[in-house]
Amino acid sequence: MPVFDILTATGAVFCAAIALGARDRVAAIAGFLLMGLVVALAWVRLGAPDVALAEAAIGAGLTGALLLRGAARIGPLEPAAPPARALRASAALLALGLAGLLGWAFAGAGGASVYPALVRASLAESGVGNPVTAVLLNFRAWDTLLEVVVLAVALLLVAALAPPRIDPAPLGEMVLPFARVVVPVAVLLAGHLLWLGAEAPGGAFQAGAVLAGGAVALGLCGVLRPAERTGAALRIAGLAGPALFVLAAIATAALTGGLLDYPAAAAKTWILVIESALTLSIAATLFLLFLGSEGKSR
Amino acid sequence: MATALATLGTLLATLGVAFLLVAAIGVWRLPDTLSRLHALTKADTAGTALVALGALCLSGSLSAALPLVLCVTLVGISGATLGHLIARAHLGRETR
Repeated sequence: MPVFDILTATGAVFCAAIALGARDRVAAIAGFLLMGLVVALAWVRLGAPDVALAEAAIGAGLTGALLLRGAARIGPLEPAAPPARALRASAALLALGLAGLLGWAFAGAGGASVYPALVRASLAESGVGNPVTAVLLNFRAWDTLLEVVVLAVALLLVAALAPPRIDPAPLGEMVLPFARVVVPVAVLLAGHLLWLGAEAPGGAFQAGAVLAGGAVALGLCGVLRPAERTGAALRIAGLAGPALFVLAAIATAALTGGLLDYPAAAAKTWILVIESALTLSIAATLFLLFLGSEGKSR
Repeated sequence: MATALATLGTLLATLGVAFLLVAAIGVWRLPDTLSRLHALTKADTAGTALVALGALCLSGSLSAALPLVLCVTLVGISGATLGHLIARAHLGRETR
């Protein structure tokens, strides 16, 4: 396998170079997408399938869709004069400094982490069998709550800035049959990932990203028309997940005295309910980020 | 039986990789968008299907078939649709 590892490592750097160096926006985004997929493969090789799933679904998939949408709005790259030599030299110096710092941090981080053993020891009381979900939704649920709030803030920003909605051009007669197969599969897969997250790699972020991918397919083939009412419903769905998470935090504080300290026997139910709400609201948020929120369509 | 299945799996996967390699060479060497698409879409789908079939033989379990069939189906239909979309966009740009 070392050949495979070397290929993924050099491939990721090569794709990053394409993403940074390409003269064409779409080519640069293609490089970024490929880098996401190669990095996802690298995460699989590192034994972190949860991260790989999230990287493939959000990092490579939906971010790519968002970037392509942005590229279509700002138009092609204007040929610009190369930056001044002093600017390039200082950028190179900064990059070298950052690389040096990272190398120093990496070299200094000796010894195995203490967390895997701790998580393994108390996995039984978390209510789920997947250590990643146990950390995200139980031991460190507070961090996850704040992460979800970040998404809600992004949604509010999009609503405040009101970028024009996209009105996709008709894409021909092949797209609707494609969506008829892909969208149901995306819904099934999202449910599967959500349910699986309790025991195996999966969970709300991955399921929400897959669901949002299906919604983007529907939006692009013109079935999910961004009307006033759907926009409002999507915004409510997007904010419902964080709201439910906060309510759960308050409820657990009232019930057990600890914030997000679930009642012992029912931990799995709490986690599944929170994750289900999060899946829907992550999907709605990502879809709204793609679609634009307010204003005239164009 | 097990070794025969493993040999068959390796053979199929190798053949699939060869198809993918041909697709890559086609995209690299052919002169224009439509002929590149021609090389890419067909060889790509066939290559993925062969690799999946090989992986099924190597895994030797029928329960591995469902995700593999799902992968191949998704790659197949998205490849066909994307090929159509790219060709459509290309032709639209040419006639405009």
